[in-house]
Amino acid sequence: MSRKLTVLLLAMLVLVAAMSLKTAAVTHGDGSVIMANGGAPAPPTPWKNGGAPAPPTPWKNGGAPAPPTPWK
Amino acid sequence: MSGPGLSQYLVWCLCTLFEIAVVMCALKKGAFRQYLLLNFYMLASVAVTVARFDVLTSYGFTSPQYVYVYYYSDALLTIFLYFALASLYARVLSELKAERYLRFATLLLLAGTALFSYAVVQQSTTKLLSKFVVELSQNLYFVGLVLTYILWGAILKMRETRTRVIQLVLSLGVYFSLFAADYALRNLYPSTRSVLVLVQQMIGCFLPLAWAYAFWFSPEEARLAPSRLAAVPR
Repeated sequence: MSRKLTVLLLAMLVLVAAMSLKTAAVTHGDGSVIMANGGAPAPPTPWKNGGAPAPPTPWKNGGAPAPPTPWK
Repeated sequence: MSGPGLSQYLVWCLCTLFEIAVVMCALKKGAFRQYLLLNFYMLASVAVTVARFDVLTSYGFTSPQYVYVYYYSDALLTIFLYFALASLYARVLSELKAERYLRFATLLLLAGTALFSYAVVQQSTTKLLSKFVVELSQNLYFVGLVLTYILWGAILKMRETRTRVIQLVLSLGVYFSLFAADYALRNLYPSTRSVLVLVQQMIGCFLPLAWAYAFWFSPEEARLAPSRLAAVPR
């Protein structure tokens, strides 16, 4: 295996490890984010607070009553 | 959400002073050019602090302006920190003469992280760019965390002895780990969130303080032997 392919493999392994770690950490979180630069007070995330009104999510709004989930 | 209190402003000010101290110590000890990307990160952090403070005082804590300046500048700083970490890799692995591959891996990992971040947020219908910026910042944070631990391993494996390099890398690992611990505690004990927000800011002071210490008290020629700590007698 060439050196470049080895580097590619290592980079992808690091990415997979980092994203797995992130998934493990954030899955049990409350949706807040980890900020790791400096001591400035962190504001809410941009999509929780902003000028434009957030539209309703498609699955929470509508005229029809929501049916029970299939697995219940 | 109310604005930051006096204690938060004090910690923020202290953190900025530490960041300036890193650059001053590096300049005084003749290490500015040797650790250019680390010092560049600190200078960028000071510049971002000035911009954030200006926007915060002009528009308010929960204003969209401050929110956007905060998260966009944070993503920028995370990218700078990522390159600073890559420069530490180059220093530790200098004996291997693999600079070319290291640069390739650094850019490849950054591109891979950006692509992954885009894949995560691409189905969002609103604020796609903002979500991408925050997602990239988050993902690069975790990539940095993993890379720092790998670098710790490389330092032990390669029997790195330069005290200053070891201190810089160790402090970076502790810094990342403290943020992760703070995040975990915030989620485990939501009632302590207000206290932990201040703790999070104080953690932000750790890295500049540790790097300033490393530049000031550890001369470039000082040597340690970390491999002895890990050696297991047979």
